Parts: sequence; C-alpha cells; structure tokens
Amino acid sequence: MDLTWTEQEAAFREEVRAFTEKNLPADIRDKQMHHQRLGKDDYIRWHRILADHGWGAPTWPKEYGGTGWNAVERLIFEIETFKAGAPRLLSFGLSMIGPVLMKFGNQKQKDYYLPRIIRVEDWWCQGYSEPGSGSDLASLKTRAERQGDKYIINGQKTWTTLGHHADWMFCLVRTDPSVKAQRGISMVLIDLRQPGVTVRPIKTLDGGAEVNEVWLENVEAPLENLVGEENDGWTYAKYLLGHERTGIAGIGHCHRELAILKRMASEAMAGKTSLSFDARMMDSINQIEAQVLALEMLLLRVAADSTAGPGPKASILKIRGSELQQELARLQMQVAGPEAWAYDPDWMRAESEFHGPGGEFDVGSAATYFDMRKTTIYGGTNEIQKGIIAKQLIGV
Amino acid sequence: MDFAYSEEQRMLTDSLRRVMAEGWTFDKRRARAAIGELDQAAWASLAELGVAGLMVPEAYGGFGESTATMLAVHMELGRGIVSEPVIPSAVMAVTILSAIENESVKAKWLSAHAEGEAILTVAWQEEGERFAMAASSTQAVARGDGFELTGVKRHVWHGKGSTAMIVTALLDGQAALFLVASDAPGVSMVDFPTFDLARCANVTFEKVALDGAALLARGEAATAILDRGLDFAITALCAHACGAMQYLIEVTTNYLKTRKQFGQPLINFQVVQHRVADMLIQQEMAVSNAFVAAVSLVDDPAPLRAKRVSMAKTEVALAARFVGEQAVHLHGGMGVTLELEVGDYFKRLSYMGVLLGDNNYHLNRAQTLMAA
Repeated sequence: MDLTWTEQEAAFREEVRAFTEKNLPADIRDKQMHHQRLGKDDYIRWHRILADHGWGAPTWPKEYGGTGWNAVERLIFEIETFKAGAPRLLSFGLSMIGPVLMKFGNQKQKDYYLPRIIRVEDWWCQGYSEPGSGSDLASLKTRAERQGDKYIINGQKTWTTLGHHADWMFCLVRTDPSVKAQRGISMVLIDLRQPGVTVRPIKTLDGGAEVNEVWLENVEAPLENLVGEENDGWTYAKYLLGHERTGIAGIGHCHRELAILKRMASEAMAGKTSLSFDARMMDSINQIEAQVLALEMLLLRVAADSTAGPGPKASILKIRGSELQQELARLQMQVAGPEAWAYDPDWMRAESEFHGPGGEFDVGSAATYFDMRKTTIYGGTNEIQKGIIAKQLIGV
Repeated sequence: MDFAYSEEQRMLTDSLRRVMAEGWTFDKRRARAAIGELDQAAWASLAELGVAGLMVPEAYGGFGESTATMLAVHMELGRGIVSEPVIPSAVMAVTILSAIENESVKAKWLSAHAEGEAILTVAWQEEGERFAMAASSTQAVARGDGFELTGVKRHVWHGKGSTAMIVTALLDGQAALFLVASDAPGVSMVDFPTFDLARCANVTFEKVALDGAALLARGEAATAILDRGLDFAITALCAHACGAMQYLIEVTTNYLKTRKQFGQPLINFQVVQHRVADMLIQQEMAVSNAFVAAVSLVDDPAPLRAKRVSMAKTEVALAARFVGEQAVHLHGGMGVTLELEVGDYFKRLSYMGVLLGDNNYHLNRAQTLMAA
C-alpha cells in the first residue's frame, strides 16, 4: 500500500484545474455556484468543450472514444471540474446506457450510439420507474408487443430526470407477462420524437421541474432497438444500476458544496465577526469536511477493488454520498440563517437579476436543501441499499 | 397539573380543528399564498374564533387566556400550518404590549387587536446580526416632544400585512421599543414570499417622526419586555410545530397503508414501522418540550425562563426536522413533488429551525444564562 499521490496524479490534477479554469464558460459556472438551474444548452456546451479536448467520456475505455482514465484520474477529474463550477456530466448516456451497450449491445448499436453520446448528439433519459413501481422496479407494467418488425409500446414512466430535453429513452418494458416479474422484462431503445409520446414536468419542492412523467401510447421501436436478448432486461437493468450507484456518491458535488459552505460561512456576518469564527458552526463544518474526505477515500478503495463491477460496496457509497449531499445543503441553509427564508423563484430559474432579500447564495440554499431530499430516495432508496448490503456483504 | 382540556378549551380546539380542516386545506392555503399579500378574510375568520384576542388581558377586551390554552390553540393552528401572522401579532406583539406601562397605548392597540382590527408584528433583525435581539444600527433620536427613527430591519414577519410594528432601536445608546404605524411617512418595505407560504419584508425607516407615546419602553425594561415576548412567541411556535408534526405523521401513515410495493402496503415493512415509531417518539417529546416551556413562562424568573424556552426550542426544532425529513422520505418520489401537502408541512417544519433564532443562537443564549 502506498498512500501518496504520484507525480503524474498531481500533474494531472493541475492539468484539469488549468483546463477548467480556461475553458468553463463563466455564465455556466456562475449559475452552478449559485444553485441556479442550468438549461439544456448549458449542459451540451460543456460536454462539447470536453469532447473537443478528448475528455468527452471520462469513464469510458479508449476503444469507445473514452479517455481510458483509471479510477484515480476519474476521481480527480470529477472533483476538480465540480469544484470549479462545471455542470455534472449527463449520466444517462455516459454512465447508464453507454456501459450497458458496451457490454450487451450489438456492434451496430455500439457503432451508432456510443460516439453520439460523447457529443450529446442524442440526449438520453432513463425509462425505469413507473407510478406503481419505484423501489419494487421489477413490478413494472409498461408493455412492448411484437408487431411485424417492431415493438408497439404502451405504458407510463415517471421520475424521468431531464426527460423534457431527451431525444431517446432506454426503457424497461414487459415483453412476457406470463412469467415471474424479473423474467419477462426487456430493455428497448425508444426514439421519443414520435407521436404517442407525452412528457409532463413534475414540479418539485425547490420550485423546479427537472423530473417528468412520460406517457407512451402505441409508440414504435424497431426490433433492432432491443438491447441484448429479449426477456433478459433485468440483468442489464441491474448492471446499469450498479454503475449509477458509484456515480451517485456525488463526490464532486460534495466537494463543491463543501467549498461553497465554507465560503458562505466566511462571508456571513454574525455581529462583528464572520461565522468562520463561530465554534458551533465550525464544529459542524469541520465534521462534514472529514466525512467528505472519508467518502472520497472510500470511493477510491471501492474503485481499486472492483475488478468485477462495482459490487455491493457501491451501496455504501450511495447511502453515505446521499446523506452527505443532504447534510451539506442543510448546513448551507443554516449558515444562510434568516436569509434562507425568502423565496425568489425567478432568480432560481436565472430568469431575472437577483432582487431577493438575502445574499445570492442564501436564496438558493433553502431550495437546494429541499431538493436534496431526493437523494436518499432515487437510484434505489437507502432502505433498498441497506437490504443489498445485508444480503451481499453480510450474507443473510 | 391536569392535562385534560377544560370544557372551554375543548370547544375552542374542536372548532379550530373544524375550521382548519375546512378552511386551511392544501388547495386553500396554496391559493391564499398565491394572492401575494395577507388574506384579510382569513385573518378575520381567525379573529372571530378568538385567536386574536386570546392572550389580550380581559381589561382590554380580550380573553386573557393561560399559556396552556395558548399551547392548545397553536397546536391546532399548526395542524393547518396557518401562514397568517398569529405568532408575531397575537402572541409576540400582544405579550409585549401587555407588559408596557402606557395605559392609553395599551387601551388603544390591545383592544383593537382583540377586535381583529389591528395586525401587529415585531421588527428586530438587522443585516449581519443574524438572530440578535438587541438593535445595533437602528437609531432613535429625540425631536421636540417625540422621536425620529432611522434604520433597516430584515425579515419582518408579515411586515407588509401589519397595521403597526414594534421596532427595536437604540435611544441614547440604550435599548428602546417603539410602536410605528406601518404606513407612517418614511416607512418603506420590500415585501417577499417565503418558502413556507408566508410573507416577510425588509423594512426601511427613514427619519420616521414619532410622537412621545410611541416609546413603549427603554433600557433594561425594554430588553426584558422584548425577551419575554420572544419566549412567548417561541413557545407558541413550538406548539405550532407539534400540531404540524402530528398531522404530518397521520398523513404519512395513511400513505404508507395504501402505497404498495413488493405486493404489500409499505407499512408492512419493519424498517418503515420503526421509522414511523421514531417519528411518533420525536413528536411526543416535542409536545412535552413545548409544555416545559409553557410552564416556565409563568413559573420561572426571566433568566431561567429564557434558558428553558431556548432549550425547548432547540429540541422541538430537531424533532421537527426529523419528522419533516422522514415524512418526505417515506412518501418516496411523491414526497419531493409539489403535488402533495407533505412538502408544505416539511417546509414549515424546516423553518422551525430558522424562525425566532436557530439552534446555535439558542444554545448560545442558554449558555450565557447558565450563570443566572
């Protein structure tokens, strides 16, 4: 064991820092750092800036146009770009359907879809959850029936993150209703730009609408859009979720929010001194800093260990990562103090100059606190994750 | 001690529960918030029930009710998460006015309040001072028979909807409380909505001319009267949070009994049952903390009272956060939408930790009072 950063790793960190500082558009950075909402174009611009530099797919192997980075390099990249105020990379293509196609897709699918993901020529979304199927995903009801050379799909998906921007959906559908729930599921790629697709935004606690309901009514997908084998979708779905859970630790997010928290504390006056001199506040901030650093180390340890996929330790990352994201937002709200009470929805949407009553960080802090409640729910609730830990790590 | 409601208390809380269930529903609360200003009709209907006059002494046309009744009433109001200024006006301002010496001011404003004709609020927070009660930049100077007031107050609870404000200021370097008509020349406001469907305002006082009677109290008396007003308001807020928690646990339990996953209602899972049990434990302890505070309001000397109330508030705020966060979590994805009322309750309970001082403020307050 050697716990030092190598010279190459240190140099790489500097390289990412310098690149981001030079190339991240200031308007995107400002929105991100103030918890304002990013538009479709903001994400695409950043993706293409990275792609032009050869960094469009930081988690992919070189043969598919990725960077071929190891776990440490990926981590450095995520933390440094996030801390600088870069948007999150769209996980739907890069971390979800991309890896699934690499492992289970046919050559034609790989050749067509993968390069397009890197430049976001297709915006993907996830068609997993349904109104009656959340934690119990395998109970999903959306049907796909063969009709000649295509599937006809009917059903309803929900919690479709950024689905209102999406061109394509990788969708779990039931292709055989006669067998046990997990057996009759397939994964189908659906072009959303066709009649019969209805997308309705769901307003969330922070006043935003990042998630959607998607209705599929006699929607068509050619049979060649099937991923892998028919009725084997559950295997691919689980493989995909394992990937989602490592990313879901949100280590870059945690580092960025920690930096914002510290800055807020140094700027928030409490009489003659700033909150950085308030022992009660600093206890909480120092404690969460320790927790973020430990999460980062856990991520590295898990990554170093996963020769055969992320495994059940990914569940530990998901649980702690989601809890820390929530706690960071809560502490920011606490630092904002009385200023966190006010609500300025236009500014949150970046549709107006700031005209709220408090500081700019303060208004976003409450919205973020409310919004972050989703993290212990999505990607498999933390109760589901604990079930996985118990089953796979403890062996019950 | 007798924890059973008296006949009068039972009638009052029964009618409040009915009014909350009919008039403070999910849709009606949202619609009221969308108006963009205080709904006077809603305030009038609360006043009609006796809420405005509850704590006004009988001599001034009120009911002069006990702190026990105050608790019972605010638990019901919390079940409906009322956004109207009951706490700043009917509790905090009324408590302050009841303690001052000027009889004509008391007769005028307390009577008007009991009749539902005046809405009051208290303005004390200043920029960069967080929750501090003492004025540091707002200044009053003597002018002829009266005073001139200049300064800026922040986050004045329902400032815009108020008839008059009790304002903290420095007068010759001493603490002082002034009563200022909200529409007086020189008073201007930036009014804005809050996340929990209420409103607050940043208020600027620019050389506001006040007559001599506007000075409610000064020096140590002003500080003591304000502190007592705060402690009454906090106790009412604790009760409000308890009512909100109680209702939210009911709503959550109902949801868990109907929402099915893995072929059975969620409530069948032990991890879920234990979570709800924890919420109930927190809520019960919160109610008891509110009772402790209410007892202290009457029984204890000021320093001990302040410590008891501050510590009760920190406990209730922690319980409120736990119950609110867990209620959202147990609702799953639906909990983070704006489509169910769980979100509105969660937000109100979140602000339990912001309104009238956060936990660090109250831990500090209790600490400085330890010697007392």
